[in-house]
Amino acid sequence: MARSNNLHSVAAIFDTPNKIIKAAEKVRDEGYNKFDVNTPYPLHGMDKAMGLSSSKVGFVTLFCGLFGGSFILLFMWWTLAKNYQLFIGGKPFFALPAFIPITFEITVLIGAVSTFIALIAVFFKLPFNNHPLHDTDYMKTVSVDKYGIYITTEDPKFDKEKIISLFKSLGAVSTDLIYLPKQEKFSMFNLKFVLFLIFVAVGTSGSTYLLLNKLMYITPFDWMEFQEKYTPQETSLFFGDRRSMRTPVDGTVAKGFIPYPYKGIANPTEVLSNPTIPTEDLLKMGKKKYLTFCSPCHGNFAEGDSRLNGQFPNGPTLHSDKIIKYSDGMLYHIITNGQNAMPAYDLQITRHERWAIVDYIRVLQRAKNAKNSDLVEIKKESTTNGQ
Amino acid sequence: MVENIDNKNMELERDPNYWQGFFSIQKDPEFDKAKRNEEKKISDNDNSGLSRRKFLALVGASAALAGVGCADYRDKGEIMPYNKMPEEISLGNPTFYASTCNLCSNSCGILVRTREGRPIKIDGNPEHTVSKGKICARGQASILDLYDPDRLQNPLRKTKEGKFIKTTWDSANKEFFKVLESAQGQIAVITHQINSPTTKKLLDDFKKKYPTTKIYTYELFNDSIRNKAWKKCYGTDFYPIIKWNEAKVIVSLEADFLGNDGNKIENARLFAEGRDVENIKNFSRLYVAEANMSLTGINADYRLKVKPELQYEFVMSLLNELNRRDNLELPISVSNFSLKTFAKNNNIKEDLLKHLINDLITYKGKSIVFAGRSLAEETQIAVNLLNEVLGNNNLYNSSESFISNSELNSLDDFNKLVSEMNSGNIFAVIHFDSNPVYHLPENMGYKNALKKVGTVVTLTESANETSVKSNLVFAINHQLESWGDAKTRTGFYSLQQPVISPLFNTRQKEAVLLNWIKVENENYTEKMYHSYLMDNWKTNIYPSLNSKIEFTRFWYGALNDGVVTTNEKEKAKFSFDKKLLNSLSTSPKKSDGYTVIVKESYVLGDGRQANNGWLQELPNPMIQSVWDNYASISIETAKNLSVKNNDKISIDTGNGKKEYPIFIQPGATNNTITIDSGYGRTTIGKVGEGTGFSISGLMSNQPKFTPWIFTDAKVSKANGTYTIVTDQEAHLFEKTPSENIFAQRGILVEGTVNEYKKYPYFLKEEKGKGNHKSPEIYPEQKELYNGVKWGMAIDLNKCIGCSECIVACNAENNVPIVGKEQMEKDRRMQWLRIDKYYSGSYDEPIVSSQPMLCQQCDDAPCENVCPVAATTHTSDGLNQMVYNRCVGTRYCANNCPYKVRRFNYFDFRDHFKDGYQKEEVFDLVYNPEVSVRSRGVMEKCTFCIQRIMEEKASAIRENRGIIGSNVKTACQESCPTNAIKFGDINAKDSVFAKYRNHKLGYYALEGVNTKPNVTYIAKLRNTHTEES
Amino acid sequence: MSLDYSKDMVQFTKEPKLVELDNLISKPMDTNPSRKYFIALAFTSSLMFLGFLCIGYTFYFGIGAWGNNQTIAWGFGITNFVFWVGIAHAGTLISAILYLLRQRWRNAIARFAEAMTIFAVICAGLFPIIHTGRPWLAGYLIPYPNSMNLWPNFISPLDWDVFAVSTYFTVSLLFWYLGLVPDFAILRDRAKDRIKKLIYTFFSLGWRHSNRHWRDYEKAYMVFAGLATPLVLSVHTVVSFDFAAAILPGWHSTIFPPYFVAGAIFSGFAMVVTALVVMRKVFDMENIITLNHLEKMNKIILLTGSMVGYAYLMEAFISWYSGVPTEQYVAVNRAFGNYAWAYWTTVSCNVFFPQFFWFKKVRRSIPLMFIVVLLVNVGMWFERYVIIVSSLHRDFLPSSWTYFTPSVIDFGILIGSFGLFFTLVLIFTRTMPVIAMSEIKGIVEGAQPSHDGGAH
Repeated sequence: MARSNNLHSVAAIFDTPNKIIKAAEKVRDEGYNKFDVNTPYPLHGMDKAMGLSSSKVGFVTLFCGLFGGSFILLFMWWTLAKNYQLFIGGKPFFALPAFIPITFEITVLIGAVSTFIALIAVFFKLPFNNHPLHDTDYMKTVSVDKYGIYITTEDPKFDKEKIISLFKSLGAVSTDLIYLPKQEKFSMFNLKFVLFLIFVAVGTSGSTYLLLNKLMYITPFDWMEFQEKYTPQETSLFFGDRRSMRTPVDGTVAKGFIPYPYKGIANPTEVLSNPTIPTEDLLKMGKKKYLTFCSPCHGNFAEGDSRLNGQFPNGPTLHSDKIIKYSDGMLYHIITNGQNAMPAYDLQITRHERWAIVDYIRVLQRAKNAKNSDLVEIKKESTTNGQ
Repeated sequence: MVENIDNKNMELERDPNYWQGFFSIQKDPEFDKAKRNEEKKISDNDNSGLSRRKFLALVGASAALAGVGCADYRDKGEIMPYNKMPEEISLGNPTFYASTCNLCSNSCGILVRTREGRPIKIDGNPEHTVSKGKICARGQASILDLYDPDRLQNPLRKTKEGKFIKTTWDSANKEFFKVLESAQGQIAVITHQINSPTTKKLLDDFKKKYPTTKIYTYELFNDSIRNKAWKKCYGTDFYPIIKWNEAKVIVSLEADFLGNDGNKIENARLFAEGRDVENIKNFSRLYVAEANMSLTGINADYRLKVKPELQYEFVMSLLNELNRRDNLELPISVSNFSLKTFAKNNNIKEDLLKHLINDLITYKGKSIVFAGRSLAEETQIAVNLLNEVLGNNNLYNSSESFISNSELNSLDDFNKLVSEMNSGNIFAVIHFDSNPVYHLPENMGYKNALKKVGTVVTLTESANETSVKSNLVFAINHQLESWGDAKTRTGFYSLQQPVISPLFNTRQKEAVLLNWIKVENENYTEKMYHSYLMDNWKTNIYPSLNSKIEFTRFWYGALNDGVVTTNEKEKAKFSFDKKLLNSLSTSPKKSDGYTVIVKESYVLGDGRQANNGWLQELPNPMIQSVWDNYASISIETAKNLSVKNNDKISIDTGNGKKEYPIFIQPGATNNTITIDSGYGRTTIGKVGEGTGFSISGLMSNQPKFTPWIFTDAKVSKANGTYTIVTDQEAHLFEKTPSENIFAQRGILVEGTVNEYKKYPYFLKEEKGKGNHKSPEIYPEQKELYNGVKWGMAIDLNKCIGCSECIVACNAENNVPIVGKEQMEKDRRMQWLRIDKYYSGSYDEPIVSSQPMLCQQCDDAPCENVCPVAATTHTSDGLNQMVYNRCVGTRYCANNCPYKVRRFNYFDFRDHFKDGYQKEEVFDLVYNPEVSVRSRGVMEKCTFCIQRIMEEKASAIRENRGIIGSNVKTACQESCPTNAIKFGDINAKDSVFAKYRNHKLGYYALEGVNTKPNVTYIAKLRNTHTEES
Repeated sequence: MSLDYSKDMVQFTKEPKLVELDNLISKPMDTNPSRKYFIALAFTSSLMFLGFLCIGYTFYFGIGAWGNNQTIAWGFGITNFVFWVGIAHAGTLISAILYLLRQRWRNAIARFAEAMTIFAVICAGLFPIIHTGRPWLAGYLIPYPNSMNLWPNFISPLDWDVFAVSTYFTVSLLFWYLGLVPDFAILRDRAKDRIKKLIYTFFSLGWRHSNRHWRDYEKAYMVFAGLATPLVLSVHTVVSFDFAAAILPGWHSTIFPPYFVAGAIFSGFAMVVTALVVMRKVFDMENIITLNHLEKMNKIILLTGSMVGYAYLMEAFISWYSGVPTEQYVAVNRAFGNYAWAYWTTVSCNVFFPQFFWFKKVRRSIPLMFIVVLLVNVGMWFERYVIIVSSLHRDFLPSSWTYFTPSVIDFGILIGSFGLFFTLVLIFTRTMPVIAMSEIKGIVEGAQPSHDGGAH
């Protein structure tokens, strides 16, 4: 690489291990501390010679490893016993023996990875490919079979001549000046670069789109998102009208759906009798359905006070004697069949619900003109409930 | 200082070889420039520019951003609601229709489950007098025929070149009507047995309109011999219905009454009622004397191997023996028949016969001897006599009897018909949903005779051997698209109504005829036959019922119930007519040489439904074979012929050699060969074609013995082999080193009735051995399952191994058809299987059947090993399968001791017959409540969880607790003998709980300690033990 | 790979000079490969592509393309997985355990063995993914946060596998790379042509042989060795749990972990010897990878082989001793049932033939040892096949018994995995130093300072 004229360090080459050890010791004794030795392989006793303490890497492994292990154990407890409990093979949610293998593996994994990262990034400060030493013949030599030492300009006691002579005195094969490399620069807005950015952006987005929305849905990929069966209201290409839902054949009778015999008769001579017994649940349902279907026109209490305030002809009150006199069957008939402006509700409301509504209407009528006897009843109830 | 450096370099220059590079520094122009501007530091992080790393970072960032920006979700398709919602349909809930199945002469009542107007499942009609909510496998599977892509979708006409082209109904009708108009000769209408009074009337009307018409009725298998014999003995038309449930001793001679003789559903139900451990006092005993292993034989307590032609001798010698014991004044001499010699000739154990005789005497009047429909007339008469003298006739159901709307024609009638055809007297043949070319004996020459007929017309659902020989083919409705009625017995009518309007351009067969009758004054309408049916009822049937309600309401009620009971009673007086007895031969015949028996297939019947994958893949109860029929022979016979499994033999019953692969059947009688019907269809559709071998080549138009049994056949080894695929390894049907391994491992636990009577807990001790309880690392999960907990109990005393439940399961759970070659690779997909275990000796095997399905173990081994928790336990004790989560490692399947997990090795729907199951119309059959599994997904039985969810939903709606007995699994619903019980284990006082904690209850492989939720009720065999 | 004994090799007159070592070891990278090399590469890589073709077919149509069925749900896939994981173990053992045991001789073969570890794990890791029914969902096995709160089932041995194998791969990769960094630096500084230099520069991370680095480097190396040792033992233990933790007779056995580890080392060493015998010849490294090295390894093969044999005996004994009918049946069926042929192949290859290594002659004769180790490789594959298939095909319910017939695709993938493995080995030999240069240099005579600190 191109060099600037800023001196980085003064270096020397030695040809035997003993010499370099000696040199290192000497340099150390001279009081230099911004110096380093480069050898093709680790030399025993060099650490001592350079006065280096022993390495701290081990601690990283220890702490990260232990952390990783305890973390994964906690994590497994949280997932299976806390976040989403599942009964698996009759085992307890936190089945410790079964968690041990993974705990161990993760301990090792985190330990190893953290050690590696720490080593490269923290201890070695690598990657550092534009270090001044690179591409120097000095480097080329020490990487093969010679042993080098250099003292950088950052050293407070740095003095080129002194150092060179020191090295020579120690029997260096040669000494050497190493200069800082020049900083290379790119302009932010150079056209090529911007084009490249755009290319990358478009390329990635395009491929992502194809991958996530097209490729992942062709055979063999199958997410069981679209199944061959027909769920309600699905379309079917088999039938002309593209409806998967079919209408029953005329004249057929489904179980429990015997056609209403008085359909279409305005005021029938005979009607059905009420098959239901008004239980509390039934009345509750009746109320619900009444409020849904009937109250808009007949009002919440069937007093003919429409909730549609005049946008639609009010339904009559259901408290008139005429209607009170109606048999249950008749009310049912009217709901089923419709009357005057009132449409038929047989398709919206099931038979059972219709009867429930009838029962509820009876309740309303009764409540509207209650007798004293009812009060007694109510008293009775309240007292019984009281106890 | 610059100079100094130079000096240094000068010095260095002298130094050898190193540092050449350093001069470059001097010569470097940069160097000088730098010299001029001294000590100008350049910091690393100079933001005027951009370092390599920053550059790369930017690129990465822009890429990531762009990527994230492009996620998108998929369109789920549009919604197509009803315009006008029908009252009976509420989305997501099933609607039920009562109707009638008319696939065979039993005409059972069915209940069709529909979803949004599409039929998805067929069950028995609970209100029906006979079927009582059950229906056979064929009936259930017929839902698949409705959606069969191979159905005829239009009427076809044959061109000069003999190709079939599709045509319109009008032109086809016109064309044929012209033919009918020009009445130059006879018209022959060929049909299966008619069970519908209205159809009968229709045919009569047709006859009125075209007087030269003759109706020919046939059934490949029928009771005509038995009925004839009965008529001779007792004068009434039909052999009576038998009260199997009241019999203490049942002796079945070549009669597969649990399999295919009579109404098997009813028989099975009644039989099982007599085999109830809760009512151990009247636990019936079944003797079976038959040529080859049959479904009835499997369930026998004692089994005798008797060649069919020797049955007469057997009965007579029984009579003789009984006569010797206590003199029943017999009208004929049976002295020539000695039981001893008979036993010796057919090496039957003496003591076995002793037991039989004793039982017949001790249980006089409570025993029944039943002769198979295929046996000769004199045997039938002899059996009637035997029952008569034993006073068994009070087991005949005198209140009810069969009824027929159409007399079956004999083979001779058909022989005449063929000669008529050959002589050209017949100008039109109408095949009324029948397939004589396939069904009638080959040597009758019907196929060629058709060539002589002016116009041949076939009304059929799918192309068949007959339709390809006809000029016009009318595509007709499936039974679920048709109106109709049926009357097979006294006491009730059953009604048939369509549950969906025709899927294709087809018409109901009756409507087509009706159209030809009224062609000039009325055109075809959908309603045509519907109104005709109603008119017939209004005018003919309704009055006879003298009901109070007016007709339309009665009619709707009838449709709602599917069945109309009448108060007509059969006043059958059984008086035995002794005159004819001297016609019986009074000395035994010799029989040597091979006897060939043609038998109605359990799965395919007479082959009408051969294109039905569910049936083709339904294991044959004997040896679990699928997709084929075969010649079933004994090991001895195989040795004599020097053949082994899958070798071919050639059989000649008097009209040419026919080749069949053999399979060795333990317990088969020597020198008898049994072959199932229904296979070897040449024209029907992708699925059925080329499966198995046709039997019409064996049948004869002048049978010497009976139409289904051929004595003195010539049999020899043929060259070549043909692989019969069985669901279990073949050696399991033989004596193997692993013999009785299943008893030793605690898969099957069996005892005898006497043991049970003596000490009900006798099994609980036995079970202990072989099973070691292993100590558990983990504490018991107490807090689990204190709500509802689902469980199943299977009563092996009632299970007859008919495998009706398998079809029900397939239909309910969208189980795919995999095809023969996949079955061969052992990749069956059925969630439920009926395991068959043969033990004992080769000649007298003891057979045990065991329905095997997911046991829903509390400590399920499969759950522990699934790496993605795709199979886990619900709080109500189900071992559930999360299909979408399943990656398909198949580890669970390996770790399942019951091997009930099924893996989708392919997308079988696509893989089978190149996408046959992917056809649009096929999709309609799937149950919307069950997901259709993709390839690479593991699946298995989950106790019909969708039905459990239905119950949960309704429980919430009606705010009540969940009631276990409200849920019925598909297999339970379909089990004809109610062997399967299902319910809530924690409901201590429920009926189910009784079985869950039964004295005879045990778990399969209890030693593995998986804590299953399926309890098996040990099978009791009602055999004699020494002391009793 | 093709052998060439005619080629005469570089002979060192005296102890090798460091430069000479460099030259020799990096010769494959400096010189252009011979035609033989390309033929070998073409062969292996075509096998590899055959394998990928079969994998593609399976991926598209489903596992149905294989021989597996409902009863025998695991066939070749898992067999190959276990086989390759086993092969991997030798590398780590050599590089880590022998390092801790201060076995100097390891330096010559460590790098190569580690490389084989990496490649073997790559081959192994392939199978669990492709053997699933829906490989595109394999990610479900990894715990990643998701809106459904769905997590893998940490109880499942298969999930332990995921962690064990991925950990094993990561750690051995890092370990290997750590060793490679200084060598890359050497190559970087040797490199003449620009591209090579660029690549080596990238991978050497700018290593400067600085002693301040060497200090931490050596410590870290020790730490890694310390981590890898229990790891290597754990990995095959976990793999064996796949079987030992199941309830299937023939799998459900406590002897499996030690038995599998021994087997793994056994097969691994066999594979290393197989490859070394060829490599040292082709690249003239006889005096770096000497006969002594091979002999030492053969001794280990002999040892572990006998251990495996012991395990076989124990298995049979225990199944009898347990008194569980199913267990006994499986043991008998293994030796005399449908798969007797496979079982006896296993026994003879793994127990009988290695016994020849008792004789020094056999241990030191290249062709003989080559035959034996090849047999061992075959035997170990069959061992896994027997364990998986013969146990599955006769399990609890006779009704579901069946036989396993592999399909063409099965074999295609098996062959492909070997193709992949050797292709990677071949590429490795040409792109990276097959012997740790800096390590070797460190141990040649006179490489280290004499004790008097050289004061003279």
